[in-house]
Amino acid sequence: MLPAFAVFVVFFVAPFIYFFVLSFWRVKLYKISPDFSFVNYGKAIERYVPIYQLTFSVAFAVAITCVVLGIIYAGVVRFKAGRWATLLTFIPLMTLFGGYLVKIYAWKTILGINGILNGALIRLGLTGEPLTALFYSPFAVAITLVYFLLPFAILPIYASMRSIEDIELDAARDLGASPWRRFSDIIVPRCRPGIVSAFIICFLLTVGDYVTPILVGGKISMIGNMITPQFGQKFDWPLGAAMSFVTLTLSVGFVVAFSLAMRLWRPR
Amino acid sequence: MINPIDSILRVLVAVLVLFLIGPFLLVTVFSFSDNPLSTFPLGEISLVWWREMLAHPRFYDALANSLIIAASVGTISAIIGTMAAISFAKMSNRRATTLISILCLPMMMPPLVLAVSLLSYYNALGVPLNLFTVIASHLLFTMPFVVLVTYARLATFDFTAVESARDLGATPLVAFVTITLPMIRPTIIGASLIATALSIDDFIITFFTIGQGNTLPTLVWGMIRTQLTPSVNAIGTVLIMISICSAFVALRLTKYRA
Repeated sequence: MLPAFAVFVVFFVAPFIYFFVLSFWRVKLYKISPDFSFVNYGKAIERYVPIYQLTFSVAFAVAITCVVLGIIYAGVVRFKAGRWATLLTFIPLMTLFGGYLVKIYAWKTILGINGILNGALIRLGLTGEPLTALFYSPFAVAITLVYFLLPFAILPIYASMRSIEDIELDAARDLGASPWRRFSDIIVPRCRPGIVSAFIICFLLTVGDYVTPILVGGKISMIGNMITPQFGQKFDWPLGAAMSFVTLTLSVGFVVAFSLAMRLWRPR
Repeated sequence: MINPIDSILRVLVAVLVLFLIGPFLLVTVFSFSDNPLSTFPLGEISLVWWREMLAHPRFYDALANSLIIAASVGTISAIIGTMAAISFAKMSNRRATTLISILCLPMMMPPLVLAVSLLSYYNALGVPLNLFTVIASHLLFTMPFVVLVTYARLATFDFTAVESARDLGATPLVAFVTITLPMIRPTIIGASLIATALSIDDFIITFFTIGQGNTLPTLVWGMIRTQLTPSVNAIGTVLIMISICSAFVALRLTKYRA
């Protein structure tokens, strides 16, 4: 146990504390110098309001889409798939692995200017010029992220669905509960832990993502695209740190709000 | 009895399956086609992009770095993670769960935040960035998986055989090596392969903590950003194969079911 916690403290707790301290420091004459100032937080908040709005809207849309599709997929696998169930559980497990960058790149070849979709549209004569408006857009970012994150949503939801016994649903049906009633009063409340962790994973990974907007987003920037340059050509690490903490705090707020909202979903 | 809602749901799941595996198939198929634009029609079957990949000046270095990092991460996180899982298995369920969720915290962080905080930390300590910093950083998010999987296996482990061995005079080490280890070995190997697959896959944390040099994902990143050549599809196929194969073997070994 000791080595594990040693790794945890040295490479997670210590860097995190240092990073927090760093967010109050300043850059003077191209050198990072200790200070105690909230200037970075001021900049991190006021300069990037539209970026936060876009980032959190995309994250919310992606997370909700993944949760809904995850419930459908897991529900069919658990209750309807029969002999296909083993294969259908295997597919999200396998696609969980297999290259984060490659997955995003694959969508670039599908959605890009010279991509498959544009090629098909032109050949069908639906458009003369390659479309950029639809493809290099928040929509393209969202669909790519849904693709990448869907397995992360399916697996925890399916795991919690496995604890629901067929007999509970049969009993509810025999007592006259409609399919919707069975879904809303039995399946959703029993899957709450799975749904909440699916939402958290999808939400947080979207908020922190900066690769997808670069590859398929065109001119779209999310907060990650504003944080990374602070550690590169802009060289303002303290500001980057402050932006990271603002983003983390807002994310935690969203995630807590979602799990509280899910608690309100109770059987009638 | 098939009702319309059921049929709609089934079609939807079929579409989702296609959505999940389609892009993987595209990348693989395009790597074998001579079409330089990665679009349909496919063109002739050709190994030109695979040859270009093998001729890429930095491909072998990147492959070697990826394998060194992944193998080290797999081994170290297996050893440390198993040690931790064994001590958790001896605790009360409640306490073990709390400690495990603490260890899992790094997995809950957006990788970008983890990456930039590690970068500033190494920089402040004056640690030069190299493969070691990458390996240490990867341990953070691979070790929790090993702990989770191995702890789950130990939860159903019958410790009576170990106790008998101890009663018969075996030292704790001998009892571990001759009894516990052989019995949980498939789980440990499986967990370590999951760690390997996660490490091979990682781009963001590697990118910020490697300094100079490349791994396969950072090489792919460079290629995507500069010249868009379909040999990216070939490297992509290699990456998909390595991580999916190790994950496949891992899941068989750990008998992990979702």
